[in-house]
Amino acid sequence: MIDNSPEFRIKKAIGTTVMLLLVTFAALPTLWALLLAFRAPDAVFEPIWESPLKLTFDNFFNITRSDFPKALMNSFITAGLSTVFAMLVGVPAGFALAKSRVSGKFIASWILLLLRMAPPVGFVIPLFLLYVNAGLIDTYAGLVFAYMTLTLPLVTWSMWNSFSQVPDELIEAAIMDDASLTKAFLLIALPAARPGAVAAAILAFLVAWNDFFYSLIITRSDTTTAPVAVMNFISFDSVDWASIAVASIALTLPILPLMAIANRYIVQSLSGAVKG
Amino acid sequence: MTILQAPDRRDHPAGRSLARKRSMTQATSKRRGATYELERGYRRMIIPAILAVAIFAIVPLAGMLALSFSDYHLIRGSKGEFGFHNFARLLSDQRLVNSIYVMSVLSIFGVAAQVVIGTAVAVGLQKIVGKWRLGRVLFLVPYAVPHVAVALIWLSLFTPTLSPINAFFDLFGFTVPTFLTTQNGAMFAIIVADTWTNFPFAMLIILAALQGISTDLDEAAAIDGASRVKTFIFITLPLLMPALLMVTLFRFIDSLKHFPMIFVITKGGPGRSTQATNFYAYVQTFQNSNVAYGAAIAVLLFLMAALISFYVARLNQRVSQ
Repeated sequence: MIDNSPEFRIKKAIGTTVMLLLVTFAALPTLWALLLAFRAPDAVFEPIWESPLKLTFDNFFNITRSDFPKALMNSFITAGLSTVFAMLVGVPAGFALAKSRVSGKFIASWILLLLRMAPPVGFVIPLFLLYVNAGLIDTYAGLVFAYMTLTLPLVTWSMWNSFSQVPDELIEAAIMDDASLTKAFLLIALPAARPGAVAAAILAFLVAWNDFFYSLIITRSDTTTAPVAVMNFISFDSVDWASIAVASIALTLPILPLMAIANRYIVQSLSGAVKG
Repeated sequence: MTILQAPDRRDHPAGRSLARKRSMTQATSKRRGATYELERGYRRMIIPAILAVAIFAIVPLAGMLALSFSDYHLIRGSKGEFGFHNFARLLSDQRLVNSIYVMSVLSIFGVAAQVVIGTAVAVGLQKIVGKWRLGRVLFLVPYAVPHVAVALIWLSLFTPTLSPINAFFDLFGFTVPTFLTTQNGAMFAIIVADTWTNFPFAMLIILAALQGISTDLDEAAAIDGASRVKTFIFITLPLLMPALLMVTLFRFIDSLKHFPMIFVITKGGPGRSTQATNFYAYVQTFQNSNVAYGAAIAVLLFLMAALISFYVARLNQRVSQ
């Protein structure tokens, strides 16, 4: 439809303006963090248009000499392990919940949702006391266990949803051909639901990677994760903004490719209707 | 996914699977033994998950409930009193009232802003800009930034001596007000940061819903002489309602858990004015060492989450049948 009336053009202009404002809102903080990361330490508090050339790579080298790289490694280890364990347990459970006629599915869906929605402060208080007594404070095992409360419900819920979209006939045909249920699951259902499984793993990793609260409370200097370690750049009397910006970029960069792969499935995994 | 599509049930995968299930039941009743074997196999696949959920989730939650009835103090320990005293104290706690007020303001305004901006961007990407793939990626970036980093970036933008926004307005002799020194300003700062990182979630879901709506309807309305705005309000918006409801519920539940934004941007301040309930439970437990009372606040939050998630699960079940 071609419409060149002035009224239409005004509306189009308004739409474009709104969109530009939204683009600014979305992009400005990211660009600001990038700028801050390259800013010479003595120019952090000067507006960019006053000293546009005071840029440096030093901030990136400085941060490698801090504890931050180790914390980044801790984040990779704990988020990775909790994702792997959640997948090992949650994927078969999601499959069974999607395909069996076991009763109590509604309760299961409610519990899974509730665990995703429950305030972490409720989990963390008893876990903290338990860990203090069991010597699990500041250990990988303690943090990975805690992250399982986040990753397992997420993986089970989204795999339930993914397997619901695999036609029942595929599984039935395999069973008719005398395949065992395990075989039907591993060779038929899992390959069919692979995109969903990749997305579930990515989402679980993101949740654990993003965590701040659990790590703040149950880790100390040895296993502290990157989101908590960033706070070390804030000391009592000064804030190392350049390092904070570099650390924020380091925290975001591993996520971007994952987000690019998973964004279509985020919709599915987070809000998909589980078929009863 | 079903919830995101136009509510036409005839062509619905769930409807079809229901019909199939009925015919299947008849066929398999002859092979009841095999079915029984199969169901046992399925159960074996669920059991590890049940055990894991019990260990990782139910045990801590039971612990939280037990603590909430106790008088456990991180330093003083427990005198062995057991009862409803923590819950009685909740009823007369002014700080709890304030925390619920802060949580409500953060949730309501935050979620509203995220849904409105998310919808605007989704509609914009769909209609004004066409299929602009780069735009979709650009708008997703804020969603990829971990919350601590989001909070720190916005803290820098709300720090007057540092913020480029302040510097920019200073050029025109206009002084940007300081936000972090008043309760309303501090809540505004948290809402802005939260909105920035979470509107892409709303955008993603609404974009998916928009793509499920047939363009025929828009064209038919245009031929009938309806304006674009009218078409959007009377045709697109009603079809988007299920998706909007889902986004609102999910975001609302997450916003009850506000922590890093408050911890980093305002530290609960100025004073104690932005301690939302989740943060207040943390303060009572880990700063005041009052574990039992912190657990009682957590139980309160947990009950809220239980109610909302029950509603979501019901909604989910209704849609899928």
